[in-house]
Amino acid sequence: MFGLMVTSLEQGLVFGIMALGVYITFKVLDFPDLTVDGSFPLGAAVASIMIFNGGNPFLALCLATAAGIAAGCITGFLNTRGKITGLLSGILTMTALYSINLRIMGRANVTLLNSRTIFTYIEEWGVPHRWVFLALFIITAFLIKVLLDCFLKTQIGFALRATGDNPEMARANGINTDTMKILGLSLSNGLVALSGALVAQYQGFADIGMGIGTIVAGLASVIIGEMMLGERTICMATFATLMGSFIYRLSIGIALRLGFAATDLKLLTTVLVIIALSTPKIRNLLRSTSSTVSN
Amino acid sequence: MLELKGVTKIFNAGTVNENVVLRDINLKVDEGDFISIIGSNGAGKSTLLNVIAGVYPVDRGTILLDGRDITRVPEHERARFIGRVFQDPMKGTAPSMTIEENLAIAYCRNARRTLKWGLNNKLREEFRQKLAETGLGLENRLNYKVKLLSGGQRQALTLIIATMVKPKLLLLDEHTAALDPSTARLINNLTEKVVLQKGITTLMITHNMEHAIKMGNRLIMMDKGQIILDIKGSDKTSLTVNELVGMFEQAAQRKFDEDRIMLGARS
Repeated sequence: MFGLMVTSLEQGLVFGIMALGVYITFKVLDFPDLTVDGSFPLGAAVASIMIFNGGNPFLALCLATAAGIAAGCITGFLNTRGKITGLLSGILTMTALYSINLRIMGRANVTLLNSRTIFTYIEEWGVPHRWVFLALFIITAFLIKVLLDCFLKTQIGFALRATGDNPEMARANGINTDTMKILGLSLSNGLVALSGALVAQYQGFADIGMGIGTIVAGLASVIIGEMMLGERTICMATFATLMGSFIYRLSIGIALRLGFAATDLKLLTTVLVIIALSTPKIRNLLRSTSSTVSN
Repeated sequence: MLELKGVTKIFNAGTVNENVVLRDINLKVDEGDFISIIGSNGAGKSTLLNVIAGVYPVDRGTILLDGRDITRVPEHERARFIGRVFQDPMKGTAPSMTIEENLAIAYCRNARRTLKWGLNNKLREEFRQKLAETGLGLENRLNYKVKLLSGGQRQALTLIIATMVKPKLLLLDEHTAALDPSTARLINNLTEKVVLQKGITTLMITHNMEHAIKMGNRLIMMDKGQIILDIKGSDKTSLTVNELVGMFEQAAQRKFDEDRIMLGARS
């Protein structure tokens, strides 16, 4: 049980960075961005091929993030300049990224088992092997959470939030909503790619199919967190997202122990998200029908 | 100050649904003018304001503001010197952000937004004072989310947002039409107070003839995409609703459509 908790915490935090990215587009910007299914493996591909060839893993993380930012920019340009709907823009970038990721890796998967990853370095600094993942993920995830909280309280952060909340009001107050969308999408996909780069080193390989369902997992985390802790303040909402990511990984861990095959997980996740998204509506529906009956 | 020269706006040009909404509009607005605009449905009032604000591009003509040609300037850039309040109270504020955050966004309207904190205590104090002047009791609710406010409170807030940084031009698009009569009166009083106090050049669409006559120093009536009446100064001060209806029927060559326009007291 303890092992399950630690693993879920590790996974919850490292995938939580991705979920924070999804929070930016889905909640702050109100933009359903499917780019993440491509930018997550993009980060993994960039980082793993660098590390596999003996590159510095810290530099690899930076480049992976930069690649994610570029991917988000492209989706943003397709949507704002190309006037393609948000959903389709993301799908187009995601699909293109599949080929790009294969080009970057040169094959369908890259193993890092014999390479010097970021964890090799941290272990050499004296962190015991058992805690190395947890230590790095706690620091990174919470550092990013705090930085994101701060950013959303700056003048530009306000502009970004207004763009998602009421674009008409934003434009009427001199905010260039197109620029803000591009900014939000780049930030989001930068985080998603960073998460992908860390996950690849955590699990010891990068795989071309590892991005499938990223958006659903991210949404699950955001929604579970919101249901549990609410979203009264930004600080709370980002914490809830990390928390939701942990709960999500924990429930998956439990499902595996209950005997579900790993290949069933995408179906389980989807069902989970459907329930989470429709529960409030079903509850409202039940309430309104019961009140009609009593009248 | 603001000048429209031969402005024409056609929706669905070249199709069977072609609709000329603005037809060769020429209008010169002087500094400090407070103009009320009336007209029946489809007269082009809202389109006129939207064209000035840059929501739609014009098909012909030019728009000059303080001598500068702004015809091709995008909406968000014009917003630096044009404040707007819409008919729908939902449109002018960001609902899931707090009152103070909404005001902070307006505060940066004319400045370059940076990574500085959007709010600080000095700003909060300034906002509190501004809100206290409205008499709506919002000054103690700075960190309330705007979606919790009533329509009237939101319109008052939008008015403050639109005039936070004094705009060269204020555009009010039937901003009291969605409110109940007493709230509408309150917002109208607030509008007059803000506009006159700061001397803001204002264009206000209203569906209420009495308001149109009572408020402002100039009255414009539109019909079928054209300005058919432009009444200023003492002519306007002595104007009555009946006279106005008569003038409309003469200018438009048809009976006045009373469905939507509220005549107010018809003495």
